[in-house]
Amino acid sequence: MATAAQNTTPRKLRVATTSLAGCFGCHMSLLDIDERIIDLAKLVEFDRSPINDIKHCGPCDIGIIEGAVCNAENVHVLHEFRANCKILIACGACAVNGGLPAQRNHLDVAEILKHVYGDLDGKPSAPNDPELPLLLDKVRPLNEVVRIDYFIPGCPPSGDTIWKYVTDLISGNNPRLSFELLRYD
Amino acid sequence: MPNLETAPSPQKLRRIAIDPVTRVEGHGKVTILLDEENKVHQVRLHIVEVRGFEKFIEGRPYWEVPVIVQRLCGICPVSHHVAAAKAMDIIAGYGTLPPAAEKLRRLMHYGQMVQSHALHFFHLASPDLLLGFDSDLTRRNIMGVLADFPEIAKQGVFMRKFGQEVIHHTAGKRIHGTGAIPGGMNKALTQEERDLLRNGVDQIVEWAIGSVRMIEKLHLTNPRFYNHFAEFGTNMMGLVRSDGAMDLYHGGLRATDAGKKIIFDHADYSQYDRMLQEGVKPWSYMKFPYIKSLGPEHGWYKVGPLARVQICDFIPSPEAESERKKMMAMGEGRPVHGTLFYHWARLIELLHAAEVIRDLLDDPEILGKDLMADKGPWRGEGVGVIEAPRGTLFHHYRVDKDDLVTFCNLIVSTTNNNQAMNEAIRAVALQYLDGCEITEGLLNHIEVAIRAYDPCLSCATHALGQMPLEVSLQDAAGAMVSRLCRNSDGAIV
Amino acid sequence: MTIERYITIDGEIVHFGAGQTILQAALAAGVFIPHLCFHPDFGPHASCKLCTVTVDGRNGSACATPAMPGQEVHSDTPELNARRRVLLQMLFVEGNHFCPGCAKSGNCKLQALGYELEMFNAHYAHFYPNRGLDASHPDILLDRNRCIMCELCVRASRDVDGKSVFALAGRGRASHLVINSPSGKLGETEFALSDKAAHVCPVGAIMPKRVGYSVPIGERQFDHDSLRQKVKKHTEWRSSGEERDGATKELVNGSVAVNSVKEG
Repeated sequence: MATAAQNTTPRKLRVATTSLAGCFGCHMSLLDIDERIIDLAKLVEFDRSPINDIKHCGPCDIGIIEGAVCNAENVHVLHEFRANCKILIACGACAVNGGLPAQRNHLDVAEILKHVYGDLDGKPSAPNDPELPLLLDKVRPLNEVVRIDYFIPGCPPSGDTIWKYVTDLISGNNPRLSFELLRYD
Repeated sequence: MPNLETAPSPQKLRRIAIDPVTRVEGHGKVTILLDEENKVHQVRLHIVEVRGFEKFIEGRPYWEVPVIVQRLCGICPVSHHVAAAKAMDIIAGYGTLPPAAEKLRRLMHYGQMVQSHALHFFHLASPDLLLGFDSDLTRRNIMGVLADFPEIAKQGVFMRKFGQEVIHHTAGKRIHGTGAIPGGMNKALTQEERDLLRNGVDQIVEWAIGSVRMIEKLHLTNPRFYNHFAEFGTNMMGLVRSDGAMDLYHGGLRATDAGKKIIFDHADYSQYDRMLQEGVKPWSYMKFPYIKSLGPEHGWYKVGPLARVQICDFIPSPEAESERKKMMAMGEGRPVHGTLFYHWARLIELLHAAEVIRDLLDDPEILGKDLMADKGPWRGEGVGVIEAPRGTLFHHYRVDKDDLVTFCNLIVSTTNNNQAMNEAIRAVALQYLDGCEITEGLLNHIEVAIRAYDPCLSCATHALGQMPLEVSLQDAAGAMVSRLCRNSDGAIV
Repeated sequence: MTIERYITIDGEIVHFGAGQTILQAALAAGVFIPHLCFHPDFGPHASCKLCTVTVDGRNGSACATPAMPGQEVHSDTPELNARRRVLLQMLFVEGNHFCPGCAKSGNCKLQALGYELEMFNAHYAHFYPNRGLDASHPDILLDRNRCIMCELCVRASRDVDGKSVFALAGRGRASHLVINSPSGKLGETEFALSDKAAHVCPVGAIMPKRVGYSVPIGERQFDHDSLRQKVKKHTEWRSSGEERDGATKELVNGSVAVNSVKEG
């Protein structure tokens, strides 16, 4: 009978991903690893991610989050990830510093909604169904809400950048990015 | 079909949520209200996020806009990039683009068509179609397709890669590049880049033909199911060339009813706000546009591949046109409206885009170095419209004499499909869920219907428009209590 | 007896000319020391503190410390780079530096230093100040969101252009760039696109209008070479006596990177 020590195939790492207030560009960049996705499938298995149908995050080794925090639901999802992921990575400009959506931070949310959805007989007519999460007054990067272990800047970070960063992590090294791979735009 | 938008007494009903809707781009959820016998009373697709791009674009200089707005969406950034650049060409007073510049923009845009359609079909939707709507949910994803259908999955991965490389060589990077600038393009294509892409494109065309044949075969295994899944007739809208051909980069607006009878044709898209109007519903941040002359009840429509393939008179590339005829034959002379036809139409467009890329690369003008149009007098206002992968995309801006944006209105493709997607999930709920024991597989049927539209919910959630807008307040019995309209110039009537 | 005029920087021998500071000597020799507020055409400002080095055991600004024979200078050390990274991070959170939407991206010295010092995020809580922009000038856009208050424009306008268009006002967090005109608007001043002050901004605060993004990705200053590599290459070009097209073009464009290695 094989013992655990004799079993040479390492356990696949479990990875969850999500997008908060982001554009999915970072997930697209993740897919820009192109055919390396076949290699990736040998190294990791996916927990919750927009590319599969798992709706909630379970215990994971690595969580990758794109997008900033802009509403109450984003906060819940971020906490779910932090509670379940041993390593949490903020991926892309929005997750790292708020990104372009943070340009709304000097605007008043109520004014924005009024401007967009209009006023009806003095009452705001912005959508207000309980199913819709409330907007936060400011868009925040992830590390202003929970502890984040690693940051990959870029809008989006390229497929090569994400690949280098994540494979460094998977192989147990401290991730480093060469000059060509580290970009803020 | 009973009205499932709003249940008369929701508090007595049981709520089921699909949250988040997955294998789509962006943030959405579906709520379903059921009674004790699992009879469906209310079904809604909620768009749960707002980001306000249109608002914070105001006050920014106009040359930044094509670069900023593409951050609306990481799947179809080129659409926003090019639509904004088209509007800025007009605003800054530029004349007709030199042939090389227009062809490079087209190349970039059709490159995006290939990558976006390949991504959507292979990475996001194919797990449902190839593995089964109610197959094991832990395998119902691209990894599962890679394991069971490695060749098909790899072709999808390589087709997407090719599209991304076309974008990379025209925009400087794969996602969120800078190729289009007001008045033209900033980068010529080198001979080396042209040859590299030209060498790859024949294989892409071949795979694209194979993909269309595959979906055709799939339809024919069970035509009753594929033809009638979430089937309901709607108006359709899209751009067409002056000769009625499909053109995804430029044209006039054509809208038809469900039977393909013309509502308006070759309409100047800069007058879009005379033809379209948007409504607001309290339960979604995404607005509900409709054709003004038909009103909100009957004026909603669908856009995107299924509309475009059917409203055009022909597709101007031979392989795609021949595949189009095969799909149209399924309707026996009438347009097809089954929701799953979206995939078929999308793959026909993928094929068309690959053919167009091949022809553009064979055109010597694509290597031209004259990339900027001549500048005439300042215009200050402009509308740029393009057929994005998901449908007609409107960008409308005004810029003041100091070069700062004072007004921005975007109607993104997915917003156009808002009502149609809601109707589709209601049709599925009635067809498959009503009175049944609700299982995960059945709920996935709802998502399958949403996915067919390839919604780009990020795009939609950024849009905070200033369209002509109608807001109405209804009492509990649904009677209108109050109504307000705002024109696109902001006047309240 | 002659005194050999050289210092060592991180163990490397660097010769210096009469009156040169440590930073000037280093850049002339192709040795990179991070800096932001320094420009070869102006005297030392010593406000950004990024060029802080250890000279014979004591820390000081390389831009304001005269080179003296035999000085032992340490610059590229983990301790000093960590401090520089913190300074950068504070600059990033203090303003609104959204690289993805900025036309200076790829040509921005603040960004290039971030790459150089491997800054992965800004660490501190962002201020997201509401600073606004001034588009009143027909040819030049002033975006205060991106200003890092290095005062290069202030110095250039006062000392070279003789116009004194810019000044800093306020203190601490409230510091901001002000314009010397009755309305406080740039459009009312004599400021011109040909002014030195229009071409010294290391970030995207003062930019010519209507030309944003005309240089494609891949051809921008820092797309392929880091600041460190640029300084090294420029010195090599100069010592080979070759006039490289790239170098000339960048000088004409007012490149901060290459400008800053011109002879002081």
